[in-house]
Amino acid sequence: MNLNQETYKLSGANNVGMIALVIGVVGLVLCGVGYAVDHARFFHAWLTAFLFWTTIGIGGLFMVLLHHVSNSVWSVVVRRIGETMMATLPYMFIFAIPVLLGIHDLYHWSHADAVAHDELLQWKQPFLNTPFFVIRTVIFFAAWALLGWWLYGLSIKQDKEGHSFALLKKFKTISAPGLILYAVTVCLAGFDWIMSIYPHWYSTIFGIYFFAGSIMSNMAFMAILVSMLNKRGVLKKEINSDRYHDIGKLVFAYMILWGYMAFSQYFLIWYANIPEETIFYMNRWGGSWSVASMILVFGHFTIPFVMLMGRTTKRSASTLGFFAVWLLVMHYVDLYWLVMPNIQPDSAMPSWMDFAAMMAIGGLVMWLFWRRFTANAIVPLRDPRLQKSIDLVSP
Amino acid sequence: MSAANEQTQVYQFPEDEPLILGNPTFKDVTNRVLGVLEAKAPRGWWLSLFAAASLAAVLFGMIGWLFWEGIGVWGVNVPVGWGWAIVNFVFWVGIGHAGTLISAILFLLRQKWRTSINRFAEAMTLFAVICALVFPGIHVGRVWAVYWMFPLPNQMAMWPNFRSPLLWDVFAVSTYFTCSLLFWYVGLVPDLATMRDRATSTIRKKIFGLLSLGWRGGNRQWKHYEVAYLLLAGISTPLVLSVHSVVSTDFATSVIPGWHTTIFPPYFVAGAIFSGFAMVMTLAIITRKVYGLEDYITDNHMEKMVKIMMLTGMMVGLAYGTEFFIAWYSGNPYEAFALHNRAFGPYAWAYWIMVSCNVILPQLFWIKKLRRNIPVLFVGSLLVNVGMWFERFVIVVTSLHRDYLPANWDYYKPTIFDIGTFVGSFGLFLTLFLLFIRFLPMIAISEVKNVLPAADPHNYEGHHGSEEKHASGDLGMEGAKS
Repeated sequence: MNLNQETYKLSGANNVGMIALVIGVVGLVLCGVGYAVDHARFFHAWLTAFLFWTTIGIGGLFMVLLHHVSNSVWSVVVRRIGETMMATLPYMFIFAIPVLLGIHDLYHWSHADAVAHDELLQWKQPFLNTPFFVIRTVIFFAAWALLGWWLYGLSIKQDKEGHSFALLKKFKTISAPGLILYAVTVCLAGFDWIMSIYPHWYSTIFGIYFFAGSIMSNMAFMAILVSMLNKRGVLKKEINSDRYHDIGKLVFAYMILWGYMAFSQYFLIWYANIPEETIFYMNRWGGSWSVASMILVFGHFTIPFVMLMGRTTKRSASTLGFFAVWLLVMHYVDLYWLVMPNIQPDSAMPSWMDFAAMMAIGGLVMWLFWRRFTANAIVPLRDPRLQKSIDLVSP
Repeated sequence: MSAANEQTQVYQFPEDEPLILGNPTFKDVTNRVLGVLEAKAPRGWWLSLFAAASLAAVLFGMIGWLFWEGIGVWGVNVPVGWGWAIVNFVFWVGIGHAGTLISAILFLLRQKWRTSINRFAEAMTLFAVICALVFPGIHVGRVWAVYWMFPLPNQMAMWPNFRSPLLWDVFAVSTYFTCSLLFWYVGLVPDLATMRDRATSTIRKKIFGLLSLGWRGGNRQWKHYEVAYLLLAGISTPLVLSVHSVVSTDFATSVIPGWHTTIFPPYFVAGAIFSGFAMVMTLAIITRKVYGLEDYITDNHMEKMVKIMMLTGMMVGLAYGTEFFIAWYSGNPYEAFALHNRAFGPYAWAYWIMVSCNVILPQLFWIKKLRRNIPVLFVGSLLVNVGMWFERFVIVVTSLHRDYLPANWDYYKPTIFDIGTFVGSFGLFLTLFLLFIRFLPMIAISEVKNVLPAADPHNYEGHHGSEEKHASGDLGMEGAKS
């Protein structure tokens, strides 16, 4: 693939999009088979994959909002990556439709007969009912589409209009209140999509736990994409090891933030030892679930904590890329660990359907991502801070 | 160019707005900051010290009476067994967090504006933690047993309960104090050396010579210094989160409705930073006014601080909302009762003071004019601290005063001794702070020099017409990074 040094558009890179599309279509076909074989299992696999790709987009939206409100300089050169990922969020609604269709397999509270025999579910019915759940999901995506497309559109406008300081101001004016909308919708999405799978269980930290995993996964995604582009000789001058260092520091920080949220939740529930709360962890300790739990403790926190602490790991494309892939895998394990005990109460049992769903959504999302990414400049080339960002030396 | 003109000028990038106004040389900075210390103490300082020390005397008087009489002098009783002592402890520990955030996290995030405020914010951290530590020390009224807080080997084989969050507090807060002190001191070393070099009396020379640990400002010393500073920033960063998280477990590990909720650790941390920034702002506004340091601690700094306050204030607001939502969602009648009782029970007045000050008030600062309006900021920062004190009061008291047994229910009222102890703790805090601004440089001289235009190696390449002042050769390099 080639980068046009004037327009900063990628050319000769269509094959990436085609490969993604083929993977996506093959995945979709397999998903169809999966649905026919075992629809309950299929919907769970789909929900997990849907969450995985959506959270990367959610993280991208955060990265862009934060970038604008904090007048960030370092991230200008990689902003388009976060923006493109954020702009895929509205399409994720299409992938949410199977989740809504599979609501009876996924969400126990959606069964009228279950509610009829369960006082707690009756209590929660004003919130946990199918129409309102669908409406909320639509609202989440509408909010993210509003912010995402608006900011993305302005960013492309910036490419055309040149060094506009008025635009910088506009970005900020949208992003600051945007963060409030973002915080509320993301927390509620975490409650809705994951926490309500176990309608009796509740945890106030869950929304921001979901958020922490999202921003980490997006930063890891960015690290992978940047290192892959660099390996192919793209943006080699613009993105040097200082930017890797910055991205690496954020991957590290967000990973610790996830660990902090996860530990706070676990620890307080363990200590108080109230059965209605501990059931969540009990369900993740039977059979091979204990292994999955331990993988999270070590793989999602301890090992990357030690490995990413050092300077050299973060400054090299290959080691940072390796741990970024590692953490994305762990992010999937985290989501799997959250969703799957619903259908596999005794033991974790990965299935080919999990791969099929990941292929289907991942392939199509990456195809959409790549189309957009290659259609415009891959850096915001007329952002007034771009040169500052490229020149920035991080000590 | 006068300071006022410079402020009204619009900069292309907000981050390019000068951090220090008036374009001083390195020497100007040294003279300005140390001039405060080398001149005779102004009358106002003596008066303030007298007032603060008198208040501190009130604190010690109250503590003396407490030790003599026992904790019966306080308003605590069944069911509210934890009153103002724990409220004040959490309040003061929280105040400290902004100092650490400014010195450590903002350093890691390359926020250069921190240099004007970090020194006294760190000092504030230390003094706030000292004030906080008073309360666990006295809260049982038996000061002779205070060493039991520590796991000291003894012939009675008595140990503290290692599963008790109160013991973790001892570890968390003492670690916090140690690291903050070290970090603060390391940052002070170059400035202490400057003070030594400028000292006119032998005794001053000896004292600062000792304190500056043989600092000569050599290249290798700077190199080691910067590595040490970075490492200490890295070590202090998790402390910003861990200390108040541990404090939150004092409540959250229990099974008391309104206390046991998983969001407590991050929610406490956000609140701590929120209140700490409010305190930094209060102190900064007074100090810069008194010493005429408006060109070092500028309105730009104020705006940045108030933005962090808006952010953390809204985080706290999100936590309030989440608590309410989950209290309903959980279907747990006790949890729902506790939250309902908070907002509409006998302590509703306290709850709504908290909400108004912490969530509603900061929304004013969406207006840019108000973010640079010093009187508004001053009142706002005071009210935020009122709100944050009430937050701890609401959490502690409303969850306790109506427990599982309605026969126990009571309306907790503080006594004059509760109030005296709390007000007196401000005396201790202000006394320490006044001593600090009298004897040590309240602005980090060497760090401020680092963010001046003159510190930029390309500064003298000739395209900055307005900076001829520097080109005249008067660089005043003593103690500065070159």
